[in-house]
Amino acid sequence: MAINLLNDKGMPLQRQRMSWKDMVGKPISKLDDDAFTRVRIILMNGVELDAVRTKQIALRCNGQARLQLAELMRVEQHQATTINWLLGPDHSPIETTIGYEQTAIEVTASVAQLEPDPYLAQAYRFGLLEDFDHLYRYTALLDRLEGKDANNITQGYTDIVPARATLFHHRAPEHELVEPYPADAALATKLHALTLTGGEYQTHDYYMNIGPMFADPMARQLYAEIASVESQHITHYGSMLNPNESVLEKLLLSEACEVWNYAGCAQQETNPRIKALWEQFLDYELGHLQAAMRLFEEVEGRDPAELLGDGKLPPFIEYRSQRGFVRKVVETETQLRKRGTEFVDESQEGKSSLEYRKAVNAGGSPSEAVAATYSWMPGTELMREQVEGLPT
Amino acid sequence: MQATVPGQNRTGATASPEGTQAMTDAVNELMPPVPIDTGAMEAERLLYIDESETVGSIPPSLGMDGMVKSGMARLKGANPSMLMDKIGERIAFERGGVRLYEALLAKYEAASRSGDVLPPAGEVQEVAEAQGLAVLAPVEGEAPTQTLQRIRSEELAHFQLLCAAMTQMGGDPTAQTPCADVTATASMGLMQVLTDPRTTLAQCLNTILTAELTDNAGWELLIQLAEQAGEGELAGRFLGALAQEQEHLVTVKGWLTTLVTEGAGTPAV
Repeated sequence: MAINLLNDKGMPLQRQRMSWKDMVGKPISKLDDDAFTRVRIILMNGVELDAVRTKQIALRCNGQARLQLAELMRVEQHQATTINWLLGPDHSPIETTIGYEQTAIEVTASVAQLEPDPYLAQAYRFGLLEDFDHLYRYTALLDRLEGKDANNITQGYTDIVPARATLFHHRAPEHELVEPYPADAALATKLHALTLTGGEYQTHDYYMNIGPMFADPMARQLYAEIASVESQHITHYGSMLNPNESVLEKLLLSEACEVWNYAGCAQQETNPRIKALWEQFLDYELGHLQAAMRLFEEVEGRDPAELLGDGKLPPFIEYRSQRGFVRKVVETETQLRKRGTEFVDESQEGKSSLEYRKAVNAGGSPSEAVAATYSWMPGTELMREQVEGLPT
Repeated sequence: MQATVPGQNRTGATASPEGTQAMTDAVNELMPPVPIDTGAMEAERLLYIDESETVGSIPPSLGMDGMVKSGMARLKGANPSMLMDKIGERIAFERGGVRLYEALLAKYEAASRSGDVLPPAGEVQEVAEAQGLAVLAPVEGEAPTQTLQRIRSEELAHFQLLCAAMTQMGGDPTAQTPCADVTATASMGLMQVLTDPRTTLAQCLNTILTAELTDNAGWELLIQLAEQAGEGELAGRFLGALAQEQEHLVTVKGWLTTLVTEGAGTPAV
């Protein structure tokens, strides 16, 4: 059934209650569930936490919405918990990292193709290539530190090869920004940017939390390096969001973004138990949207239709291997760099980025050291190492 | 590397007697001790155990027809899926073992920069033989670095032997079986010790000992399962690997004993 943002009421906020038992249910199976179930879990945790983050900022900026914001955040905290706790404890931190990078690649590739604004589509392809390279670097780390094959996580959907080397991702802040979408941008454009910002935020936060848990200095360095790039990505995608939107406008878009994402997840989920959860949370978010629309009308005196149009949802993120598209982007856009808010050839890159890069890489490049000579193969690179005299 | 020596360890209650007394007073006033009862936690764990699903399934065999002729149909006694699950476990463990020994080699190299810190493996094996333990390989003249490199190669060879066995049985050696997954979870701490720049060679050998003891028991079980399944030839190959693992165990144990009994106060300990 097609959802309409303006008409579907969802579950009233007051009825949205979860116990600790509801939040801490059965995790998915790392071995048996489809990789895209994990991709959706990782993405929706990020989207949900960004919805909370948006409200925490709104709380600091708007006196009239405080109570409603507090009520909404309480439920969303518990939704995020329910989703994030679906990841099983047999995922090592690097295995979860592989899942995060696969999520970034497949989701960004889909969004890049859905995005109607050509400049922003370019910006998505630009970021895509960097997360694509991160997957390769972390795969080398997983293999060489834990002796594990990243494809046990990615399940054949995502290529594991280098692209724009992580070494080159380090840019000066003035070359990190992207031009924001205009106020009258398509709803799809706004939801895409919000989704990617939330996803990158959570990726960054995850790396910042688990990085220090590693004993291996090489792992600690790699997480430090890539966490820094993810921080840049938050700025990259976050700067797409129009800074002239009011706080309550951002709140309304954030709720619409959650509805859109849950609806896409519910439509494509293959695990019936998780599908039911996406449907439940879709219902919750429709209820949240109602609250956000009321605030928009009552506090700002504006019509939600101004932002939501006819209420129809834009096309969903497609949860399937985007291999063909990604390969094309790798082939044609790896050499692109940034100069200000422009995407330029490597020869035109902003000079201050070169200086910045020289400084951070002064003691060597972790991402280069970890992956030196690394080629992925089924069963880890040790499958191809020759050994003399098997025991008989 | 630095020696582990007595110093300003602050963790014990006796390190802060006033604070500890104040805390004890607070407990006596606000939460006086009662008989210990962890029943609520146990009940909750039981509830979750009862409702849980497995970590995952054993991967299906490749090409049922081929498999029936060449492998699984011959298997008797033991559940053939269990044999494949346990082979998958050993694949994961041996592959991880290669990486553990790589980390140990780096640690040994750092520790031995100021001179020999470990006796040759031959010497510790002589001690073991004197204690009536059978040891496989003559390693006369082998320096500790060479021994560590040899053990790493043997772990790699075991990994590849197991991959071949899995393929022969119609299984996929690149799949992560449930027991492989669980043993990886159990092993997470091993690599954390081996790759920590602060740990000593002795602390690392103690950790490798955990791995080698588990590995020996794992191979013994695998041989038993292969024999029960009527896979005598496979069991024979596994026996060869076990003999090597027994030698690894004796060597690691001997090195650890030597370091701890004779090397206190040195950077390796």
